[in-house]
Amino acid sequence: MVELSWIEGVLALTVQFGTVYLLASLGEIYAERSGILNLGMEGMMIVGAAIAFVFTNALGHLLSLVSVVLIGALMGLLLAFLVVTLRLNQVVVGLALTLFGYGLSGLLTQPAIRARIMRALNPEVPEVRIVTQQAEALRAVKVPVLSDIPVVGPVLFSQNALVYFALIAAVVMWFVLFRTSIGLAIRSVGENPSMADSLGINVFRIRYVTSVIAGVMGALAGAYLFIGYQPFWVEMMTNGRGFIALALVILASWSPIRAVFGSLLFGGVEVIQFRLQLFGFAAQTPQFVLMLPYVVAIVTLTVLSVESVRKRLGVPEALGKPYYRE
Amino acid sequence: MKPLKLRDRFLSAGSHYIDVAIRIPLRIERRLEVPASVSLAMTVVFLALALLFAAFLMQALGIDAMSVLHQIATVFTTRELLTAAFLRSVPIGLAAVGLTVSFRANFWNIGAEGQMFMGMFASTGIVLLHAYYGLIPGWALLPAMAAASFVAGGLYCALSGVLRSKLGVNEVLTTLMMNFIAILFVDYLVYGPWRDPRGYGFPLSIPFPPEARFGGLMGEAYEGLALLAVLAVLTHLLMTRTTFGVDVKVVGENPYIAGIAGVRIPRTYFLVNLISGGLAGLAGFFLLSGIIGRLRPRASPGYGYTAIIIAFLAGLHPILAIPAAVFMGGLIVAGDVLQATLNLPFAAVQLLQSTIFVMIVVAEFVKRYRIIWRW
Repeated sequence: MVELSWIEGVLALTVQFGTVYLLASLGEIYAERSGILNLGMEGMMIVGAAIAFVFTNALGHLLSLVSVVLIGALMGLLLAFLVVTLRLNQVVVGLALTLFGYGLSGLLTQPAIRARIMRALNPEVPEVRIVTQQAEALRAVKVPVLSDIPVVGPVLFSQNALVYFALIAAVVMWFVLFRTSIGLAIRSVGENPSMADSLGINVFRIRYVTSVIAGVMGALAGAYLFIGYQPFWVEMMTNGRGFIALALVILASWSPIRAVFGSLLFGGVEVIQFRLQLFGFAAQTPQFVLMLPYVVAIVTLTVLSVESVRKRLGVPEALGKPYYRE
Repeated sequence: MKPLKLRDRFLSAGSHYIDVAIRIPLRIERRLEVPASVSLAMTVVFLALALLFAAFLMQALGIDAMSVLHQIATVFTTRELLTAAFLRSVPIGLAAVGLTVSFRANFWNIGAEGQMFMGMFASTGIVLLHAYYGLIPGWALLPAMAAASFVAGGLYCALSGVLRSKLGVNEVLTTLMMNFIAILFVDYLVYGPWRDPRGYGFPLSIPFPPEARFGGLMGEAYEGLALLAVLAVLTHLLMTRTTFGVDVKVVGENPYIAGIAGVRIPRTYFLVNLISGGLAGLAGFFLLSGIIGRLRPRASPGYGYTAIIIAFLAGLHPILAIPAAVFMGGLIVAGDVLQATLNLPFAAVQLLQSTIFVMIVVAEFVKRYRIIWRW
């Protein structure tokens, strides 16, 4: 039984870590399916994490998550305005949003500024909550009956609410994308915007909506990273995971369901990295182990680019191209 | 004819003439060419807008924005601070000059940060060869360090380039990932085998000997600026006066046509990578040899990303990258001072830089149109 619970622990951790990637890549899939390459995902995540940190201590989990969603939507709108309305280069705008996110999150969490924001939000917030670098983590919720199943129960059905949300979102977003007319509209906008336009689909509106979805999911991914996984604030704690999510989207060939498996893979890589350090392997110099996710991402991208694999992937034809209505 | 909604008309920007509304004596027209004066004016206007926007944002967060702006102005009017700005502008300017080449070739090298770290790795390696094994004589140290860092940065960039030109792997993602790998690699060296045995356990390399320090004659800031100027002019000449420059332009605009015209595309990409990554590597060399004086972890706080902003601020022109770099260098120095006086984190500078980045790109958009008041 000892063996089994150890495996259960590793698997549960993989799911927990994978959720960071899952939330981010789901948002990115919608944006890319409609033709928007969102390099700003990293920035959206770090702002989400910063908001979760500051607002949870002032207002509690629920209101903090609502604010995270609002901020994410705002960043999505900004992205859409710049790349859809002004048609600016998507790589440049995405990078700028990421740098902006790093800057904003650093300012929001600076002790004096943080204290001011928290007092404004909630005048009765205790001093302890202002100084701390931590916040209360989301509690795990056991699903009745299902959580009693061996292995599957502890791994899948004893997690916090955001993990369930991510898994349900993956199924719902897959269904919407491939089985509804809205999904068809999103995909056609990403494949051939002028054709979609001539069929009466509002290309600009669709791209605005998918950008906002990307912003909300990205901010939630960051918020989850903080209150769901590691409730201790570290500057730039997303550490490039927003960029890895972009590689994951390619690995998942723009499908929300396959993104679940892809995020488990990258979640697993991080767990392996964690375990290796725990077992004292490379305890003095953990850097090579820390490189793993980035190396795996590059290898993945390279393998996927081989012609025969590429044909089966189906890259959205208009990805990264602004749409001019002529 | 009923007046059309502004939005609908504006979105039909494909044609050269767009009427906004019939009754307003104003017309928006697409420019075929942007005069340099307009380009400069727009850049200045949007820089001001960026400062204004960032100031509002900071004020909203409860930071005294006026003192931030005042500090920035002080940097450019105080002699010592201006020298400090010059010093900072060298590494970010070197990397930016390299980026103008790769961006013109439409190769999205986001990896200047990682290439800088590879340059630091190579120059420190040369110093250690000298100090531990005496393999390199003192007088040859600086040229050897510069050459090694150029090659290291260039090859590191070319790795992404080969992946792209042979297999079509997206270079934006590979160069980005390789930043994180390079930073961790240098971390490994300074925490591990390259740690100074007499450094009380701090993660630092041995201090560079005087022969390995840049700027012995006129001070590192001015010698650095001279180096930057020479390399910027050389790059400019390379891009305008040689067939290579033409190749880069054609490959950047249309690789298909370039192939038909007989341009050796993989070779062009390789050289572009070598120059772009090489100059970033050189930036890493200068950062250690001219400024810090030894290898330490995270020696560059994102200068490779700042260089991207500079390249765009300069309109991808290598020589204009110099004033743009001095401006950004000034912002970095102002940030350092603010950190000490107002206890503002480096994030304030990041916020300012990214706002400038966005506004510069918006300016590129606005430049393409002009407003005519009467017709």
